[in-house]
Amino acid sequence: MSNDRLRDFSNTGIAGRLGVPRVPLLRRHEPGRPLLPGPALVSAVGAGRFAKPIGALVEESGQSVVESAGEDKLAAVVLDLTAAASLADLAAAQQILTPAVRKIAPSGRLLVLGPEPAEASTGEAAAVAQALDGLVRSIGKELRAGATANLLVVAADALPAAVDSSVRFFLSARSAYVDGQVVHVGVPVGAPQDPVGMDDPIDPDRPLAGRVAVVTGAARGIGAAIADTLARDGASIVAVDIPAAGENLAKVANRTAGVALQLDITAADAPERLLGHLRERHGGVDLVVHNAGITRDKLLANMDAARWDSVLAVNLAAQLRINDALLTDETVLREAGRIVCVSSQSGIAGNRGQTNYAASKAGIIGMVRAYAPRFAERGATINAVAPGFIETEMTQKMPLGTREAGRRVNSLRQGGLPVDVAETIGWLGQSSSGGVNGQVVRVCGQSILGA
Amino acid sequence: MALGALYAKAAVGAVLPGRGKTLPDREIAREGLTVDLGHLADYARVCGFALTDTLPMTYPHVLAFPLQVELMACRAFPLPLPGLVHVANRITAHRAIRAGEPLDVRVRAERFAAHPKGAQVDLVAAVSVAGEPVWDGRSTYLARGGSAPTGFAGEMPEMSDVDGPASAVWRVEKDTGRRYAAVSGDVNPIHLNPLTARAFGFPRAIAHGMWTAARAVAALQGRVPDAATYEVLFRKPLLLPSAVELVTQPARGGWNLSVRNRRTSAAHLAAQVH
Amino acid sequence: MAAKTRQTRQAAVIGGNRIPFARANGKYARASNLDMLTATLDGLVARYGLAGERLGEVVAGAVLKHSRDFNLTREAVLGSRLAPSTPAYDVQQACGTGLEAAIAVSNKIRLGQIESGVAGGVDTASDAPIAVNEDLRRILVALNGARSASARLKLLGKLRPGQIVPEIPQNSEPRTGLSMGEHAAITAKEWGVSREAQDELAAASHRHLAAAYDRGFFDDLVTPYLGVTRDDNLRPDSSVEKLAKLKPVFGRGEDATMTAGNSTPLTDGSALVLLGSDEWAAEHKLPVLAHFVDAETAAVDYVHGRDGLLTAPVYAVPRLLERNGLTLQDFDFYEIHEAFASTVLATLKAWEDPAFSKERLGLDSPLGSIDRSRLNVNGSSLAAGHPFAATGGRIVASLAKALHEKGSGRGLISICAAGGQGVVAILEAVK
Repeated sequence: MSNDRLRDFSNTGIAGRLGVPRVPLLRRHEPGRPLLPGPALVSAVGAGRFAKPIGALVEESGQSVVESAGEDKLAAVVLDLTAAASLADLAAAQQILTPAVRKIAPSGRLLVLGPEPAEASTGEAAAVAQALDGLVRSIGKELRAGATANLLVVAADALPAAVDSSVRFFLSARSAYVDGQVVHVGVPVGAPQDPVGMDDPIDPDRPLAGRVAVVTGAARGIGAAIADTLARDGASIVAVDIPAAGENLAKVANRTAGVALQLDITAADAPERLLGHLRERHGGVDLVVHNAGITRDKLLANMDAARWDSVLAVNLAAQLRINDALLTDETVLREAGRIVCVSSQSGIAGNRGQTNYAASKAGIIGMVRAYAPRFAERGATINAVAPGFIETEMTQKMPLGTREAGRRVNSLRQGGLPVDVAETIGWLGQSSSGGVNGQVVRVCGQSILGA
Repeated sequence: MALGALYAKAAVGAVLPGRGKTLPDREIAREGLTVDLGHLADYARVCGFALTDTLPMTYPHVLAFPLQVELMACRAFPLPLPGLVHVANRITAHRAIRAGEPLDVRVRAERFAAHPKGAQVDLVAAVSVAGEPVWDGRSTYLARGGSAPTGFAGEMPEMSDVDGPASAVWRVEKDTGRRYAAVSGDVNPIHLNPLTARAFGFPRAIAHGMWTAARAVAALQGRVPDAATYEVLFRKPLLLPSAVELVTQPARGGWNLSVRNRRTSAAHLAAQVH
Repeated sequence: MAAKTRQTRQAAVIGGNRIPFARANGKYARASNLDMLTATLDGLVARYGLAGERLGEVVAGAVLKHSRDFNLTREAVLGSRLAPSTPAYDVQQACGTGLEAAIAVSNKIRLGQIESGVAGGVDTASDAPIAVNEDLRRILVALNGARSASARLKLLGKLRPGQIVPEIPQNSEPRTGLSMGEHAAITAKEWGVSREAQDELAAASHRHLAAAYDRGFFDDLVTPYLGVTRDDNLRPDSSVEKLAKLKPVFGRGEDATMTAGNSTPLTDGSALVLLGSDEWAAEHKLPVLAHFVDAETAAVDYVHGRDGLLTAPVYAVPRLLERNGLTLQDFDFYEIHEAFASTVLATLKAWEDPAFSKERLGLDSPLGSIDRSRLNVNGSSLAAGHPFAATGGRIVASLAKALHEKGSGRGLISICAAGGQGVVAILEAVK
C-alpha cells in the first residue's frame, strides 16, 4: 500500500551522499518474531514496582536485560518512574536516559512508566509526574531511525499485570507508528484478575484467540487491515459493511475465515440486527471496532445539510446507537468486552474542508470518555484510536503536495500503514488490556498537527 | 448408373420419339441391400429422426427410389420423368426393420390411369427380409397434361387438412432441397436451386415432398407403432426457404397431420398415420 | 405418503446468496457461468463463515452451457473458499434447475446421507456458447480423428464458406420451433389474460422488489458483483401507465398482449441456497429460516397435446397439495415464477376454472383463488430478471427469509420450465 518513493530513495547510497535526510524503514510485527530484536535497558528510579516484572518479561522473550547503557545498541529502554516524586528523582531519570538514548537502535523503543499526576500527594510529586509528559514527547522528537518514545501513566493501585499488554505493545514492532503518546493505565475493569506478576498470555502471537471481533467498514482500507490483523492474532471476524460493498466484504471475510454481514449501520434497525446476528451466530461479542466512516468534504461556507448529516450519521450517530444497544443488552457484550472507536487526527487538530468529519471524529472522543465508566461497570472498556496520515487508497488520490506534507510532518517522517492502526486496535482489544479505558491513542508517528 | 445421369438420360429421352404407350411389364429388384449406418445417420439428421438401429418409417423409400427412377427413365416408360410431380405417397411398415438386416427391394409401376389434370402412375416398392414382407411403398406421380390409355384411376384418398393450433414451427432453410437430395439421391433440379427450379416453372426451389413427409412423421417418433400405415397427399409446393407449421391431431388410434404455410396457411401436406 | 415423509428428518433452508441479476450483454457481459457461480459461492461462504469447511455437496447447473463447463459446479467449488474436499455435481432442468437442485440436496439431507449442502444455478445469456455450423463441426470432428495427411486434406476440401456461419443458441423449443414467448402467447390467448392484468402484475413485481431492497430485505441475500449492487432490470418507478405504452412483442393482432415489460428479459446471474439438517445448523450456530417440506415435478405434452408449454405447474401443485393434505389457500406466501406475467395469471385462472379442474386435473372442485396480496411479495422475475437456472435459488432463499420474518406459516413455490415441465415445492416456517 505504501507508495513512499522518498522513503525508498532516501535509503539508497546515492541519497546518503547527496545528504537527503533518511526516512526510516519501520520495523513491523511478523508472527513468530521475538518481542525485541536486541537487548533492553530496564531500570527504575526509586521503588518502582514494574521494572522487575518487565525485566523478567524481556528475558522470557529471549533477550538480555541491562541496567545501564553500555557499548551495545539497545532495542528498548524502559524506565520505571512510577515512584518518582521529587525533582531529584527526575534528575536521576535524566542521568539514566541521556546515555541510553544515544544507544537506541533503529526502530528502538523508549517506554517510560510514570505516576498519575492527579494522585500525587504533594505539589512537587504532581509536577514531576506531569513533567514526564513533556520529557517523553520531547524524546520522541529527538529520536531518529524509527525509534519511538511513549509514556504509560499508571494508577497507584494498578498491579504489574495491569500494564502487561500495554508494555508488550509499546515494546513490540506492533507499535511502529505510535509515537509520543501518553496512555493512562488504571486498575483493570471487571472482576479482579489473578494478581500474580506479569500474566503471560498462552501464545503472544495470538493474543485474541477465542475472541469474536466485529469490524465495521471492513470491506476495504483500514477496516480490511483491522480484520486481517485481528484474525492473524486469533480473533473470529464479523466483517460489517454496507450492502453495496458486499463483494469486497466477502473477500475480507473469506480470507480471514470470518463472516460477512452486509448492514447499513445507519439504518433504524441496524443495532438490533447487528446484536441479533452476534447473539444468534456467535453467542456474543468480545471486541467491537467502530471503524466505518465517510468523508463529504466541503468548506463550511458551502456545506449542505446532506453532506453534514450523512457524515455525522455514519461516523458518530451510528456508533452512539450501537454502543447504547450494547450497554442496554445484558448478554451480547461478553465479559472483558472491548469497544474501540476509530477517531481521527482531524478530530483533534481540525482540518480545512472537514468541519463535518472533524466534528464527528472529535465527537467520538467525547463519547469514549463519557462511556468509559459505563462500560467499566460491565467489565468492558471503550477507547479510541486516532490515525494520522495513513497510506490508503484515499491518500494515494491526494494531490502530491498535500500528500507529501501530510507524510512528513511527524517524528517518523512518513505516513503510517493501515496495519499500524490495526495493531493498536488489537492491543486495546485484548482481554488483558482492561486497565486502558476511555483513552485516545493517536497512531500518527507523533504528528505535529493537534499535538 | 448414377441418378444424375439417369435424369439426364431421361431428359434427352423425353424429347425423343419412341416412348411406350403402356407400362412396361418390368420389375427391378435389388437383393441383399444393407443399410450404411453413416448414410442412415445423414438421413436421420436431415429429416429430424433420432438415430437408432431401427430404420425410420420413411427410410426404405430412399432405397427404392433409385429403382423407381431407373424404371421411369427407361425409354419404354410412357410418361417423361422430367416434370413428373409426386402427388401422393403411402407407406405400410409391417414391422420394425433393423439397420443390419439384408433387404430385398422390388419396384414396379402400376395403375397407369387418367387424372383430371393429366395422367398418373403408381410406383410400387416392396421390401422383404428373407421372403418376409416388411415394408410396402406406393408413390403416385402425376404428369400434367399427360394421357393414359386406361380410364380414371378413381379419387385420390380423401383427406381433409387438419385445423387447429400448430404443434411446431419449422424454419425450412433454403438448402433443404440440396441436403435431402444428398441423402435421398433425388437430384431433381426443381429441388436444388432457384435457377434450375425456375426452368421448370417454380419461382424458387421447392422441398422434396418425401422430405416434408419424413420430417412430419419424425415429429411423432415414439408415438407411432412399428407396424403402421402412413398416407400422404402433397398439396401446394413448399418453396424454399419458408416458415411452415406442423399440425398434429390424435385420430382413430393414430394421428392426422398437416403441414401448412405459416403466413398464408396454405396446405403443403395432409397425412394420416395409423 | 405424508406419514412416510415424517419418518425422515427435516431439511432446513439456512440462507442464500445471489449476485444482483444483470440484463444480458450488459454489466456481466464478460463474466462466464463459472465466474458468476464461484463469486456467488464465495459470497455464501462469507455470509455463513464457511471458509475451509467441507460441505456435504454442492449441486447447481446452467441452462446455457459451454462444453468446457462439463463440470461447472465442481470447478466452482475448487475455485471457491470451500474445502476442496466438498463434492459437487451439475443438474440441468431448464428453468427448473435451481429448484430441482434444492430438492436433490434437501432429499439427501432428509435421508441422512449428507448434513449440509448448497444448491442453485447460474446462467449467462451474454457469454452463451456459440457452436460452429453443424457441417463445419462434423468436418472438424472428423479432421481431429483423421489419421493421415491425405485424409485430412480430403476433409479440408469439404469446407465451404457458408459453413462459417455460427449457430447461436435460440430461446426456442427444439420440438416446436416456437419461442417461449410465442408459446406463452398461445396460453395467454387460451385463458383470455388481458394486457391490463399483465401490466399490473409486472408493475407490482417492480414495486415489491424495490420496496424489498429499500427495507434491507436483500442485505443478507445478495452480494454485489462487478460493481452491480441491485438487479439492473429493476425499475422502481415502473407503473401500469408506463407499461401500457410498450408495443407487444408476442402474439398477433388483438391477442398480442405480451410486451417486453410484462415478459422477463434475457438476464445474467447466479443464485445459491444453503441447506442443512437442523443439527448441522445448530452446531454451526446458523439460523434455520424454513424447512423444505416437499416438492413435485410435472410435465405436459405441449407438442401434440392440448397443454401450454409453461403450464406444467398447474398439474404439479394439486398433486403436491393432495400428498400433503393441504389446500391452495393454506399458504401465507405464493412464489409463482414470472416467466411472463401471463404465465402467472393463466396458472391462477386454471386453478380457478371448474371445467379445467374437472377435465384436465381430475378434481371434483377447482383449487380456487389465492389471496393476491400474498403473491410474490418481494418481487419476482419480471423485476429481478431471470437467469434461467438461477431463479430457483433466488426464490427458495427469498421465500425462506420471508417465512422467517413472519415467524409462521408456509409458502408455495411454482416454477415453469422449458420442455413443458414444472417444479413446485412447499417451505414451512420454523417455529
